[in-house]
Amino acid sequence: MRNEARLGWALTLPALAAIAMVAVFPIFWTAWESLHFHDLRMPWLGRPFVGMANYVEAVSSERFWGAMAHTAVFTAATVTLELAGGLVLALIVDRFSRGRDLVRTAVLLPWAIPTVVVALVWRFLFESPAGIVNGVLLRLGMSPPTWFADATAVWVPLILADVWKMTPFVAVLLLAGLQNIDRSLYEAARIDGAGWGRQLTDITLPLLRPALLVAFIFRSLDAFRVFDVIYVMTGGGPGTATEPIALLTFSSLLQNLRFGFGAALSVIVFVVSFIFAAACIRVLGRDALMERVP
Amino acid sequence: MKVRRMLGALGVATVLAPLLFPLYWMVMSSFTQEARLFAAPALVPDALVLDHYRALFGGRDFWTPIRNSLIVAGATTGLSVGLGALCAYALARLQFRGKTVMLAFVLAVSMFPQISIVSPLYLLLRELRMINTYPGLVLPYLTFAMPLTIWLLVGFFRQLPAELEEAAAMDGAGRLRSLREIVLPLAWPGLATTAILTFLYCWNEFLFALSFTLGPERYTVPVAIALFRGQYQVPWGQILAAAVVATAPVAAIVLVAQRRIVAGLTAGAVKG
Amino acid sequence: MMVNAAKRSGWMEILPLVVALSAIGCGVGQDPHVLTFAGSAVGSEAEALRRQLDRFQAVHPSIRVELRATPDASDQRHQLYVQWLNAQAPDPDVLQLDVVSTSEFAAAGWILNFDQFHAPTADFFPATIAANRWNGSLYALPWFIDVGMLYWRTDLMAHPPVDIDDLERLAAHARDEHGVPYGLVWQGARYEGLVTVFLEYLGAFGGRILDEEGRVVLDSNAAVTALTTMRDEIAVDRIVPPAVLTWQEEQVRFAFQNGQAAFMRNWPYAYGLLMDASQSRVAGRFAVASMPGGAGGAPTSALGGSVLAINAHSGDREAAYLLIDYLLQPEQLLERARLVGQYPPRPSLYETQALAEALTIAPGEARRIIERAVARPVTPVYTELSEILQIALHRTLTNQQEPRAALEGAASSMQALLDKVGLSPAVHEK
Repeated sequence: MRNEARLGWALTLPALAAIAMVAVFPIFWTAWESLHFHDLRMPWLGRPFVGMANYVEAVSSERFWGAMAHTAVFTAATVTLELAGGLVLALIVDRFSRGRDLVRTAVLLPWAIPTVVVALVWRFLFESPAGIVNGVLLRLGMSPPTWFADATAVWVPLILADVWKMTPFVAVLLLAGLQNIDRSLYEAARIDGAGWGRQLTDITLPLLRPALLVAFIFRSLDAFRVFDVIYVMTGGGPGTATEPIALLTFSSLLQNLRFGFGAALSVIVFVVSFIFAAACIRVLGRDALMERVP
Repeated sequence: MKVRRMLGALGVATVLAPLLFPLYWMVMSSFTQEARLFAAPALVPDALVLDHYRALFGGRDFWTPIRNSLIVAGATTGLSVGLGALCAYALARLQFRGKTVMLAFVLAVSMFPQISIVSPLYLLLRELRMINTYPGLVLPYLTFAMPLTIWLLVGFFRQLPAELEEAAAMDGAGRLRSLREIVLPLAWPGLATTAILTFLYCWNEFLFALSFTLGPERYTVPVAIALFRGQYQVPWGQILAAAVVATAPVAAIVLVAQRRIVAGLTAGAVKG
Repeated sequence: MMVNAAKRSGWMEILPLVVALSAIGCGVGQDPHVLTFAGSAVGSEAEALRRQLDRFQAVHPSIRVELRATPDASDQRHQLYVQWLNAQAPDPDVLQLDVVSTSEFAAAGWILNFDQFHAPTADFFPATIAANRWNGSLYALPWFIDVGMLYWRTDLMAHPPVDIDDLERLAAHARDEHGVPYGLVWQGARYEGLVTVFLEYLGAFGGRILDEEGRVVLDSNAAVTALTTMRDEIAVDRIVPPAVLTWQEEQVRFAFQNGQAAFMRNWPYAYGLLMDASQSRVAGRFAVASMPGGAGGAPTSALGGSVLAINAHSGDREAAYLLIDYLLQPEQLLERARLVGQYPPRPSLYETQALAEALTIAPGEARRIIERAVARPVTPVYTELSEILQIALHRTLTNQQEPRAALEGAASSMQALLDKVGLSPAVHEK
């Protein structure tokens, strides 16, 4: 079998080398960079080693903690709504067989559209003073806020846009889980006199747990690094009221060209993601994720 | 039964309406005169105007970002499906030490936050004079495309019946030959699904394209649309027309390949 | 060399993807007499520029000038320039910069020191030259001057407001009695324009950003009054619509142009567009005045505008300077004033009949506004100072913070930044 091993390495090496070059090596570079003062706009200051100074600056800045808080709010709100909405959507779609293709297409469309487009379309819907949402609210006798100049109201279009785009994705994952559930379980429950609610809590949800957890992990990791939708829709504003950590990192890096400081923020994002993923895999059981590969 | 059917139709409608309305509104508004966009919007347009599309392709040269997106997404997809298929075959079918570690490694990389590697990639590409070039986008795109393709393809290869390969092996065909003559022809649906998903991710990607391109001649579609907003009035008509153009290929792919996409998404549980 | 790679026809780059890694650096040598000019190129500005470039090429047949369009918004253009210059690309050769960028780019070594050219600096307004000096050397020349102006509706009032209180009264009156939806509109989105608007309120109440020693004095009572006034115009007096907090120049102009506002704060460029009766509902029903003053200060305009600089890595500096010198000749500046409405940086032109015909207000008045206009701090870290200030202003105007707390926080962050980089801003006497 030594031949097989050699072949295995030969076949895997190009791909793994490519991944190592473009993803793993840069992570170490980022970590090293984060220990330096490196401002591309002040070349005369060089690139001195400064130890943890960039991290100290980050954690002692109000803007950093604000960005972390905004990221947490966004993650909590979107993941909750998407899991709940995805479950409802999956249960509904699972119910009827007619028109399923149509529904599936409609469900996949929002997911497949570029996030940039989603953000712009929702911004257009909520634009003040004369977007369609304001038009409808005014007709209903309400006085809508100036959505994008209001530090609280601005979350509504932001979260709605993300929920609109990603709920279908969650629904597709859960639908696959639902269709794996043995239908005879429901028959048996019905014979025992269990109603729809009992069937949901006693059969559907427990058996759907792995799918829900997988959806939860992927959505959370994704929401934590949210960038596109906020960059395009609010630019992090008003003020910095919706600035997530990825946007703060981006503007430190490519707008202010503070590479040392930006690298420190990058490392923080990476470490938090990593810890979260590790914790989830721990809770989920190591094999649950690997089992996704049939 | 009639009531049931009607309830079903109602269910479909309640699911579809919120999902499709924003899209409907986007398409309809893109055909509305700029001056009427924010004035007394009507649900059904009374006149369709092509002004915004004319401006988009006449004044703005929107073909350039479309071409850029096609090149970058196409090259990334080709490269990662090519390399990824070899790697995935080995991981799915061959017995050798280190396989599990490799799979875990691929999965871990697929969870990397993109923003974490923007700075080194920028510095690297700057040293190589590859900022604002196609290779300068394809290379960064491999960071998410390679893990994605490997992950999906391992799943597809494992679903293929092993008997045919075993028979071929008994006939004395080498591994590589059976890969070429038996596995790949059988696996083409999986390869197609993988290619479609990879292409979609590349077509939609924003952060890297925003970071590593410098001008309209290399902007991809999402970057070009996002940067429409300028000091000059937000040209909503053109933005929405561009949004429709950016969505059209994606919608076509979804219509044609929805079954495959669902299969791919659920098999790999890829990231959103 | 990067630029050669970028210019090569796109399709050829895919195949040698891997090869490209090793084969970089073998570009084709450039024709020594092709200049690239990067600037904003839309509307009448583009038309004026194209004409002038054509004439320049006719005078200098050995030089060819390529125009490279850049984003309209100055913030986006700034970011693009930062990335180009930081990548050490040899082109564009000549750059149109926002006036606040000169010291940043000069300090980074990205633009050329003009001392070798012996430019006729005495021919320009001293304040516009001062803004282009860094460490005692000149790095750019002013191209045109922008000053903040108050546009007012002649059909709603008999005379422009004498001060800010009067403006607020007139605005409320127009809103209540004439049914104009908005009293006053200004640029309130979180971007550089908001800083210039604030600078004008600040000056009106006698405040400033930096004192004579270059220390940040944004926590003064005058500054708090200025910002409180801006906030209350939105939140209390309701003469400024909250939507301005997402508006830049053009959205503001559209509101005024549609007859929705009694007053507008904007740059001179808007005048010609508002006079165009085919798209403007207020053509012939408005006039321009200087920004009003307030208690303890004086009427103040923010000094803006563009300057012309040369890429430090340009392959043809002499030709680049030749082009700049040509664009700054009195005839070209007058043509720009006529076509685009932008104010020329040469004081001598303000005596001429030609300028009087081109400008929207009397040249003497224009000159007075320019000479009183307040420049923004000249420092390489201006972009970051401005970002800190933009956030504080926007947070206050959207009611997330009180004016005093926001300004105190901004002042200390700005001071800390200046102390850290060890570069106190150059202080110029007016």
